[in-house]
Amino acid sequence: MTDSKASPRDLRIGVYICHCGGNISDVVDCPKVVEAAAGFDDVVVSREHSFMCSDPAQEMIIEDIRKQGLNRVVIASCSPSLHELTFRRTVERGGLNPFLYEHANIREQVSWVHGSRPEEATAKAIRLVRAAVGKVRLLTAEERIGVEVLKRALVVGGGLAGLRAAKSLADQGIEVTLVEASPFLGGHTAQLEHLFPHADQARELMAPLLRGVADSSRIEVLTRAKVVGVEGYFGNFQVELEVQPRHIRGPLPADKLAQITEACPKSAPSEFDYGLRERKAIYMPYPGCVPEVPAVDMQSCSRCGKCEEILGADAVDFDEQARRVKVDAGCVLMATGFKPYEPYKGELGYGELEGVVTLAQFIRILGALPKDAGELEVGGRKIQSVALIHCVGSREIDGVHDPSPHRPLRTYCSRVCCSASLHAASEIRERFPGVNVFELYRDIRSYGFYEEVFERASRNRVVFLKYSDYEIPVVKAGNGEAALSVVVNDQLTGGKAVDVPVDLVVLASAMEPGDAGEIVGLMKLPIGSDGFLLEVHPKLRPVELAVEGVMVAGTAQAPMSTDETSAAACAAAAKAARILTRDEIPLDPFVARVDLSRCQGEGLCVAQCGYDGALQLEEIEQDGEKVKRASVNAVLCKGCGACVAVCPHRAIDIVGCTLDQLYRQVDGLCA
Amino acid sequence: MSVQYTREVDVLVLGGGIGGLQAAVDLADRDLHVLVVERDTSIGGRMIALSKVFPTLDCASCITTPKMAEAAHHDMIDILTYTELESVERADGSFRCQLRRKPRFVDEKDCIGCRLCEYACPILLPNEFEGGEGARKAIYIPHSNAYPQCALLDIDNCIYCGQCIKACPTDAVHFAQEAEEIEVRAGAVVLATGYELTPMEPVRRYGAGKLPNVISPLLMERLIAPHGPYGKVLRPSDGKIPDSIAYVQCAGSRDASMGVPYCSRVCCMYAIKQAILVSGALPLVDVTIYYMDIRAFGKGFETFYQEAKAMGIQFVCGKVASISEDAEHNPIIRVERKEEGGEVCEDTHDLVVLSQGMVPAWKPADKVAVSENSYGFIEVPEEKIAPTATKLDGVFVAGTAAGPKDIVDTIVEAGAAAAQASAYLESSGWLQKTAAKRSYRTPEAASTEVG
Repeated sequence: MTDSKASPRDLRIGVYICHCGGNISDVVDCPKVVEAAAGFDDVVVSREHSFMCSDPAQEMIIEDIRKQGLNRVVIASCSPSLHELTFRRTVERGGLNPFLYEHANIREQVSWVHGSRPEEATAKAIRLVRAAVGKVRLLTAEERIGVEVLKRALVVGGGLAGLRAAKSLADQGIEVTLVEASPFLGGHTAQLEHLFPHADQARELMAPLLRGVADSSRIEVLTRAKVVGVEGYFGNFQVELEVQPRHIRGPLPADKLAQITEACPKSAPSEFDYGLRERKAIYMPYPGCVPEVPAVDMQSCSRCGKCEEILGADAVDFDEQARRVKVDAGCVLMATGFKPYEPYKGELGYGELEGVVTLAQFIRILGALPKDAGELEVGGRKIQSVALIHCVGSREIDGVHDPSPHRPLRTYCSRVCCSASLHAASEIRERFPGVNVFELYRDIRSYGFYEEVFERASRNRVVFLKYSDYEIPVVKAGNGEAALSVVVNDQLTGGKAVDVPVDLVVLASAMEPGDAGEIVGLMKLPIGSDGFLLEVHPKLRPVELAVEGVMVAGTAQAPMSTDETSAAACAAAAKAARILTRDEIPLDPFVARVDLSRCQGEGLCVAQCGYDGALQLEEIEQDGEKVKRASVNAVLCKGCGACVAVCPHRAIDIVGCTLDQLYRQVDGLCA
Repeated sequence: MSVQYTREVDVLVLGGGIGGLQAAVDLADRDLHVLVVERDTSIGGRMIALSKVFPTLDCASCITTPKMAEAAHHDMIDILTYTELESVERADGSFRCQLRRKPRFVDEKDCIGCRLCEYACPILLPNEFEGGEGARKAIYIPHSNAYPQCALLDIDNCIYCGQCIKACPTDAVHFAQEAEEIEVRAGAVVLATGYELTPMEPVRRYGAGKLPNVISPLLMERLIAPHGPYGKVLRPSDGKIPDSIAYVQCAGSRDASMGVPYCSRVCCMYAIKQAILVSGALPLVDVTIYYMDIRAFGKGFETFYQEAKAMGIQFVCGKVASISEDAEHNPIIRVERKEEGGEVCEDTHDLVVLSQGMVPAWKPADKVAVSENSYGFIEVPEEKIAPTATKLDGVFVAGTAAGPKDIVDTIVEAGAAAAQASAYLESSGWLQKTAAKRSYRTPEAASTEVG
């Protein structure tokens, strides 16, 4: 590149000031900034535009680069996190090296924070532009760092999102390793029964997807597996997994399966049924689950050997040990899902009064009743009336909801509980017409086409009672008429207290982020204030995390319904496929660079470096002598600059942010 | 009819709004060749006309324009604007798509977007982009962020004075330009045809679209956009700055009498967003939102709603029965305040925004053999496990064409459609069949005109 050799005399700088509609220009006097910028050294073009990111403005910049022979560009607009990349591309399309570009933020750092002081804001904008012009003068043409891509995706989580993402990737010709922490695939969706709005049977619906994943030659499935180590970088992750033993080799014929579960003398609360029922120590949660091999819960197992007697010694190995597996992957998809919030003891009677269950539990109860059951029976009690209470653990408000037992407050809406409750209410009314159903809600959020579910519940003569955001209903023991009593100030009838006698209370409890495991800490994945994984930007990059090469799929990101989960999983797969179908991906060159003429090989920088392998002392030959000099691994270096701060000889700098460039920037600010 | 073209692309994306563009970019980034067909004069869809977007209050242009530029300059994306899809037929494992490119009366190749024709034109007309407020000429560039920056002659309102022809430095204006029929062979199709607002003309109880100060939310978007028609919020009848603004929720949603029994998913949030923005623009304004249920269900939405309440925006639970007006064109809202003892009130405001719902903007009938659901949106039969897949194998749907949804859900779904379409090309044998071409062809070569 000839650009980098341009001596200061040859500099031709273009400065562009964006109005951002009015976001900037309503506060900052943009023409004044343009005028000021035109007076800075070597600025040959200074212009403004209402939207610098728009195509016409980009074309204007490109034309200036070509016709005016610009060799440096400064754009003052919004935050670089939004559009620095946009403008680098523009500059590149104009034929200039994309790293001869500097960005000044006069929106977030100026107009949005100094709205009431336009004159000072304009002065600050001018300073920021002057600083950027000062820095851009010293920028050098750089090349991106090419990184080889490992063509495999690691999908973490084997629920609906993980399955859908894995299948989508495999269908696009990409190899996948799918890891699931529990012994079986299917996640929480498999625990559901009839899904709203059309009452599809959840496990039947999932069956083709499960089979597709299990049978795919491109997908390797590891259950009882957890990520315990991550090394490497974007496009090139080495992930270490710990895989717990299954102890049983399968698949097993159905009759043997029935025999061993019959014979097993030990039992424990069933996770699949949210503890409502017991399962054996050797178990499969439901027929047709994948893998079709029972799991042994060694904490409950007494090693009595009854299963071994039935299956034969070859099929059972109690001494099987956990193993470590290494997976090389170019991308990671986080599909770690949600968990239903379990109310604390005493919250709306939960855990204290008989007949108070969560919606997740109630769905298991309904599912277990025979299809032709004439009566709704729960825990041996005949139920004649049910109250479903919405927003349990969702939409919490500081000062209204009791924060102590479950800080932090869950202020978000869990999105699906309204539709799921209404759907359950209709199922009760349709299957057991004699049972009265009450819905206690704040707002009915059966959004989109789910409105059908609300209409159906209304037609089924479900009774609706609306409680205010600030007055939570009270659940207490009944006074003889029924087992329980729910007291609510009904907003629809003038806020009068209504005492509803019911036999069963169902709490539509929140969706909480699932346990994503150690990988979150290992990869420093960003978590939002709601506890869910946080995307880079909800609209620009909605399924990507700030850690390059890591995508998020489904309810690990936020509550969503099954169809939304599937769509999000496929979208994450699309982003991963974009990376995994390339041989090489380009990374920005903003990493440390050593000036060998100054380096004395003292290694202070190496001691300071926080990234394993990013910086080392290497023996090289210099002037016929063997000497030790600092050497940077460009893909491992994060460009943090810790090394720069400690070097006594100013022999190391960060590309695109050298000390000299920073000094010029500071000069520009202080001038 | 003029020239016939034949093109071959991997995927044809119908619709150049935010959903179509995202699907196109995701596909093109996989080295698949995409043709985006947009029936309007510019890509960018509805989003480019919005002010800011909920719940982050990012400026809409700042999100949309870069996506437009990315698609416009992508090596693997071609864009045809002002072009209608006439039919899609399955033939030999691919799709034969007939397109009709409407005449702009300006040659896209020659127009340099200098606007000299626009300045010369003597005709002033209401500006559709600004919701009918402000003016445009009979020959005009659709809006400042439009792509392509190419003028368009509104022939129905042209007086043939020839001023534009004289003014044009590149001789790009041609009064005799004709429509072109274009035939495209595509390996897969993505429908991203978007939405329209529920029409209010048939709804007499809300003024049938005739009350001047009862406006659509898209006009309100333009009024609060910093680069809108007036640069401030003025009400249409007399240009007064409103002191009291009301939002009527579910105007064209959750209402079987209007033929729209479903919920449109976005109206609660855009009303809250506009209420926040207008409160910022007019610090003394009172904003009241009349609602049935506030549906703040997405990520970050509930907090946004609670913030709006804390800002002093009034939320009144009740479905508005009717809207009339007084002698000064002040709209009067009749409503039963459900949470205040069911009292029936008549409240007068300066300006009312109807939070209109979403209906499909395009009907596939007779053009593409996909099915519609009972509401007229394109059906996704197995949406829970096969998102975006329509009844017709190889045709996918993204965004509001499949049902009302917000921008985030649209963008996510567009990504899903790209993944599904790319998997389909893998399984249908299209990629193998076209592999030979793929290895040597450049994007330009792929779209060579051959007939």
